[in-house]
Amino acid sequence: MSMSTILTRTITRLIFLPTLVTAVAVLVKGYAGAGDGFSAGVIAGTGVVIQFLAFGPRELVARYPSLRRAPLLAWSGLLLGLVTAFAPVIWGDPIMTLYPRPGEDVPHLGLLAFHTAVLFDAAVFLLVFGFIVSVLGTIGNRYGSEGADS
Amino acid sequence: MPEEFRVLAPLVVAALGTAAVAVLGAVRPRLAPPLAVATAALALSATLLMPAGGQVDLPWAPTWGLRLTFAADGLARLYALLATGVGLAVLTYAAGYMPLHAAHEGYPLSRTVRLYSLILLFMTAMLGLVLAQDLIVLIIFWDLTAITSYYLIGYEREQEASRRAALTALLVTGISAILLILAGVLLYTRFGTAQLPDILAQVQAGPFVTATGALIAVAALAKSAQVPLHFWLPQAMVAPTPVSAYLHSAAMVAAGVFLLGRVHPLLALSPGLQNVLLAGGFASMAIGGVLALAQREIKRLLAYSTIAQYGYVVVMLSLGAVEGAAYYILAHALIKSALFMSAGAVTEATGETDLDRLGGLARPLPLLAVGSGLAAAGLAALPLTMGFFKDEVFFAAASERGGLVSVLAVAGAVLSFAYTWRFWGGIFTGRLRSQVQRIPATLTLPVLVLGLLVMLGGIVPDPAASLAAAAGESMAERATPLELAYHLDLHAPTLMAVITWVLGIVAVLTAPRWTAAPRVVARIGERYGPDRGMFMGLVRLTTFSRRSRAFLEVRNLQWRIATVLVAAALVVGATIVLAPPWPTFRVGRLPTSDWPLFLFLLLAALSALVATRSAGRLILVLALSAVGYSLAAVFTFIGAPDVALVALLIETMMTLLLLAVLGLLPIGLARAPAEHEPHPGRRRAVGFITTAFVFVICWGVLSWPAPDAVMARAHLELAPAAHAADVVTAILADFRGLDTLGEITVIAIALLGALTFFVSRRSA
Repeated sequence: MSMSTILTRTITRLIFLPTLVTAVAVLVKGYAGAGDGFSAGVIAGTGVVIQFLAFGPRELVARYPSLRRAPLLAWSGLLLGLVTAFAPVIWGDPIMTLYPRPGEDVPHLGLLAFHTAVLFDAAVFLLVFGFIVSVLGTIGNRYGSEGADS
Repeated sequence: MPEEFRVLAPLVVAALGTAAVAVLGAVRPRLAPPLAVATAALALSATLLMPAGGQVDLPWAPTWGLRLTFAADGLARLYALLATGVGLAVLTYAAGYMPLHAAHEGYPLSRTVRLYSLILLFMTAMLGLVLAQDLIVLIIFWDLTAITSYYLIGYEREQEASRRAALTALLVTGISAILLILAGVLLYTRFGTAQLPDILAQVQAGPFVTATGALIAVAALAKSAQVPLHFWLPQAMVAPTPVSAYLHSAAMVAAGVFLLGRVHPLLALSPGLQNVLLAGGFASMAIGGVLALAQREIKRLLAYSTIAQYGYVVVMLSLGAVEGAAYYILAHALIKSALFMSAGAVTEATGETDLDRLGGLARPLPLLAVGSGLAAAGLAALPLTMGFFKDEVFFAAASERGGLVSVLAVAGAVLSFAYTWRFWGGIFTGRLRSQVQRIPATLTLPVLVLGLLVMLGGIVPDPAASLAAAAGESMAERATPLELAYHLDLHAPTLMAVITWVLGIVAVLTAPRWTAAPRVVARIGERYGPDRGMFMGLVRLTTFSRRSRAFLEVRNLQWRIATVLVAAALVVGATIVLAPPWPTFRVGRLPTSDWPLFLFLLLAALSALVATRSAGRLILVLALSAVGYSLAAVFTFIGAPDVALVALLIETMMTLLLLAVLGLLPIGLARAPAEHEPHPGRRRAVGFITTAFVFVICWGVLSWPAPDAVMARAHLELAPAAHAADVVTAILADFRGLDTLGEITVIAIALLGALTFFVSRRSA
């Protein structure tokens, strides 16, 4: 079924960037209110899914060839998570120790807290977003190329 | 601190060089060879400048008592010298060899960069291994050598033989490395420290020491390719020649006997273990020597020779002649890397690897013939080479033990003599049978330098002897002087050497009469040997895995879901029947404030009902998302904004995804063939059981809406301490951070599954 009208295509393109900004906001403010890396990842993913709906698999892959490399996002997210979790072991702290430790001051820049938990959340974000986009990319690649053949 | 830095300098130089070659080589492939050679040269000079007996002790993880301790004792200096010195020769050679090789195989020069950085990484691992004084650090570097060797042996990744050889090597040396880890854990728990000197000072003879010693010995013997774990080495000859010349002369196989030397005091406590090692060493000498005589491919001949030569070393270590073993390793590493490199040069010059099609190359390649000849003379233990002394120390150790060992020692040496002639004589003497192309000087030069070193060591034996003596001292923890000189009187080792030469010449002259015999042995080995056993084992394991999957996997999607639901329902049902929590289930009033909640639940129920009745996909998708959105609204009403947010997002995502995929499907609901369709009665039964189970749970939860909140309250109180204003975030990132880590790992694994699913479907 086709959702490819001028209206959907234009709106989709217009809201893509705001979606990403919202996602980053949810990620950053997660430490102050509702929201975290997982939600942020899903929000950002929604932005791409809408594009998929509006443009169809073939055109999506043609518009964003970098979709093919989306798994890299997921793997770097996993790596970042593992590093955040296991790096404390190097200087003798238990796994998953977060810095600054309880009782110490956390430097802030607006809502952004400089805390390794935010880093860990960013890892979750990257992995979830990378997951959604990779799956879409593979579906698009497969059906996109098949569609081109027929 | 300068001394600490000087101990670690070779390791640091090699590690930085690895990174530099990998990064710069990716940009400019032509820079990789000179940079790699320069790194090796720097590492070699840093090794020469290492202060004797210098130590480094850095805290690593104090809570676990782990310290990064390195020491430049005699043993470490000997092996570090080999790893960097032979590494320099091999990398120089590779700079000439790899462009030719790449041109033959038809791939671009940029792909050879990987080889240089991997060889340097291997050098780093070897240096770390020999310098380490902490068992854990030693094990880490031990595994690093195994992993790096996997990539080096499997360098030609397009060729199946290459991948298989790499896997075999990794399986044999990797599985045996687990035994080393086991031994390490046993020693650590027993003595409360991972520091090798402390452990070796405390060990006392007994079954515990014998058991850990045996574990370590198996790991070491597998690494040194000793019978019956030798079969990975000849297979590994598919790797490019520089890899063979490095890994299979001075590095990888040498690591095994290095480990035996490092824990020598522990092994020396168990006479039984020593005897097993003695037998294993002789078995490797015999089998390696005989099979070397059966080979026609020159590199495989050298591989079997390596197995036999490390057999000598194991024999000497088990006889307690540690300084002799150290000298032997030094001499053999120089000799064998020179021979491997000459084999590669010969193949590049003629395109042949088969002894039957080689011969008479002394005239067109005179310098190579001289360099290779000096090394071969060393392997055959002729006077005026280091080889003479390597056999002399071997015979001296054997003759002290007694008659039988001496006879076996001479027999092994005769085999060496015979296959050395087969190699060198077969290539360089006789009739010229092939076209010869010019080869660059970098292929000949390292062979010549190593050959001259072998001769120099035979004329001026003292420097090598003092190196070996220092290494022996750090193995045995006592003074082990080693004085090498030519004796003109007739003592036992000289007599044995003379007998070896005479028998060796007889064997070479009568060669046509017995050449068939080793081939028969080789054929028997192929059919019944450990190689075959491992292959069959792998085949059986794969079959077992495939059968159990066919047995366990539920293929029908409906049944798969039913399995989960019914099983869960039965378990919960059983608990309710066995311990009825009746007070929990109450029929309460519906307060006015809960009316919106009730309405949304009703909406969810109605949507679910629509979903079961719908005929088209679009209505199905919309009805399902209506269920989801209604439930998200319910979460908002019971005061769980985080859950509501996630539910809302997931619902949106699922709806959009399903809509997106709908566009790709053919029109009309697809039905499974009738025979796969579950029986209507069964479907109803599954539905009834599941509904009852969900109903009971919901009733229980809703009639006691404030369950034990101790945990939750603790989390709420702790959240500010974790610098989080939102308790859910604090739980996800901090209190239950490890769980989250596990969950994102699961997501990554699911992605891997999804990607392979789509890729395999496409190729199918």
